[in-house]
Amino acid sequence: MSLDFAALSDTGGNGYIAKPEETILVTGANGFIGSRVVRTLLLYGFKQVRCLVRRTNNSISLETMINDFNGKSVEMVKGNLLSRDACKIAVEGVSVIYHLAAGVEKTFPGCFLNSVVATRNLLDASINEQTLKRFVNISSLAVYSNEKIRRGGLMDETCEVDTKLVERFDPYAYGKSKQDELVLEYARTKGLPYVLVRPGVTFGPGKARIPGRVGIDTFGVFLHLGLNNKIPLTYVDNCAEAIVLAGLRRSIEGEVINIVDDDLPKSREFLRLYKKQVHRFISIPIPYPAFYLFSYLWEKYSKWSEGQLPPAFNRRTCATYFKGNTYSNKKAKELLGWHPRIRMREGLESLFVYAREVKGEK
Amino acid sequence: MIKVGIIGCGKMADQHAVQIQRITGAEIIAVCDSEPLMARQMSERFNIRRCFTNAQEMLDAVQPDVVHITTPPQSHFQLGKMCLAAGCNIYVEKPFTLNTCEAEDLIRLANRNRLKVTAGHNAQFTYAMVRMRALVKNGYLGGKPVHMESHYCYEFGDASYAKALLGDSNHWVRKLPGSLVQNIISHGISKIAEYLSGVSPMVIAHGFTSPFLKKIGENDIVDEVRVIIRDEDSTTAYFTFSSQIRPVPHQFRLYGPKNSLIVDDDHQILFKVENKEYKSYLRYFVPPLEHSIQYAGNFSRNLKKFMKKDFHLPNDAALKTLIECFYKSIAGDAPLPLSYREILLTSKIMDDIFVQLQDQGSLERMKYNAGTV
Repeated sequence: MSLDFAALSDTGGNGYIAKPEETILVTGANGFIGSRVVRTLLLYGFKQVRCLVRRTNNSISLETMINDFNGKSVEMVKGNLLSRDACKIAVEGVSVIYHLAAGVEKTFPGCFLNSVVATRNLLDASINEQTLKRFVNISSLAVYSNEKIRRGGLMDETCEVDTKLVERFDPYAYGKSKQDELVLEYARTKGLPYVLVRPGVTFGPGKARIPGRVGIDTFGVFLHLGLNNKIPLTYVDNCAEAIVLAGLRRSIEGEVINIVDDDLPKSREFLRLYKKQVHRFISIPIPYPAFYLFSYLWEKYSKWSEGQLPPAFNRRTCATYFKGNTYSNKKAKELLGWHPRIRMREGLESLFVYAREVKGEK
Repeated sequence: MIKVGIIGCGKMADQHAVQIQRITGAEIIAVCDSEPLMARQMSERFNIRRCFTNAQEMLDAVQPDVVHITTPPQSHFQLGKMCLAAGCNIYVEKPFTLNTCEAEDLIRLANRNRLKVTAGHNAQFTYAMVRMRALVKNGYLGGKPVHMESHYCYEFGDASYAKALLGDSNHWVRKLPGSLVQNIISHGISKIAEYLSGVSPMVIAHGFTSPFLKKIGENDIVDEVRVIIRDEDSTTAYFTFSSQIRPVPHQFRLYGPKNSLIVDDDHQILFKVENKEYKSYLRYFVPPLEHSIQYAGNFSRNLKKFMKKDFHLPNDAALKTLIECFYKSIAGDAPLPLSYREILLTSKIMDDIFVQLQDQGSLERMKYNAGTV
């Protein structure tokens, strides 16, 4: 799937806050979204894109992609955000920082360390960089609470952030929400120019698994929990472009922007297409009240048994992911001038092609 | 009430805190981490009143009865000495120290100050290992073990720890004298050390880098180790560490002069191998039936414990048992859960292994540089 170069150029007249020759830093550049952010920046004509990547072989796909652009515009910096020295090297002379690196581990301290401590190091290094114009912090839609939103109600940027993420037993969202708090603190106390971006569920080639908001296969059979819920999907290339624009558009400092695509499919539709186009399997539909009751009982048992079964299923998680809300990309469109270039149908098609290939390899 | 402090607020500290909060009569009163954000997040999540970034300040301010040291191993010795000097008993995560000299110094200091020390060899206290120990104590083997086999393996797979290690050239594990091996094998070695006599067993070790790691350019990490051990009474042992065997085994086999025992820690199975003779073809029919009955017994025992909410994940349960036994010993109600002899012997065997691995590594590099490999 290719993007139209000409269409990407800034023809709006207002210009971006950074010129093509200025240095842009992307952390987590070899990740699923990060590599697409780098690609989009190159397509936008940026000539000094610095990629901070960990020392792993996973950067092969990023390097291959960079080679497609002759590699002239990209500087690879291998390092770890837990090293203050690496952060100093990475931020030297940068205009915009896209901070995509995050802790995606299963433990709270692991996620906290790689999301919050890493971000603190990056912020400390960058706050005194005279050249810094914007810090784009990539958060997640998962940090919101839908406790006060009825089923089917709108979840947008005005919703409250969940403050009970430990009870939700969600280390990733916990790390992300604490990372957001840190960015806000630096903005308040040190004048950090920032934008918070909260993508929904990113999908596309490179990630073959069925999104968790559709259902789970923990018990050996696929439980379809999403049913008629809209899944807040965003195709990875669309998401990457929104992120890039969040770092470039003028006059959006301090904004929080959620990213989801248009024409969000219902969970039922997604699963039907997946089964038709990738492979068939048995799924059991579970109504929300039934799963909520199950989560309640599991939660109670976990507490009673002092964690013999961890509280992986609990009411808060159940509500967050399966209560069923609607989502909006109105703010993203208005502030960023963004629209999802890849339509949902096309995006799903490329996901399914990729998933078929992965399935075939297995 | 036992007042507990924790130094180091990473992943291991979380596991400790969860288990300590399950122990009646113990309370975590303070945590400490040189990284203030890590100290604060732990104190918030576990509702612990005090958090510090300086260990000495914590010891002075709250004077804990026992301190759990869950920092990277390079700091165990200094922090251990600091805690013992402050009058605190210490639980030191594995690997206990960087080498035997440090281990001896810590234990000597503890004895001098009339304090107690234990090491994080919690794999010794899984349900199956505890049952095995009771059988051995009751003479099931028929004497001192003739031979032991300990398989303690590891999977790089999706473990976040491995990802962190492989993705970071400065990871603290790489800086240990025995690198990755040192951070993991103490669990498997301590099982052997428990049943060895003497203080200086013969150790022959061979280690190498697996083709998997070589393929991704990690030529400096040894992840395949085979060891032969023999003590002064000619009890022998094989130890296997591998990152490539599937499924990843954590097993211990004790061969006695009369009977033998097999512990499968992955499934919490204790299997008794009895020395029974059957006539003719019966040997092909009766033992399989007896074996199936034993497996059914293990199933039933595990299920009953689960139903009584007494079957937490083996490592967590083992951690709780070890901590609880240690606290009882501090209170003067019980002996130490791990003898100092076992801790020191484990350390000594590990030192011997690392010296040999380093020699082999140097030789490999020399051959490589000379172009003969």
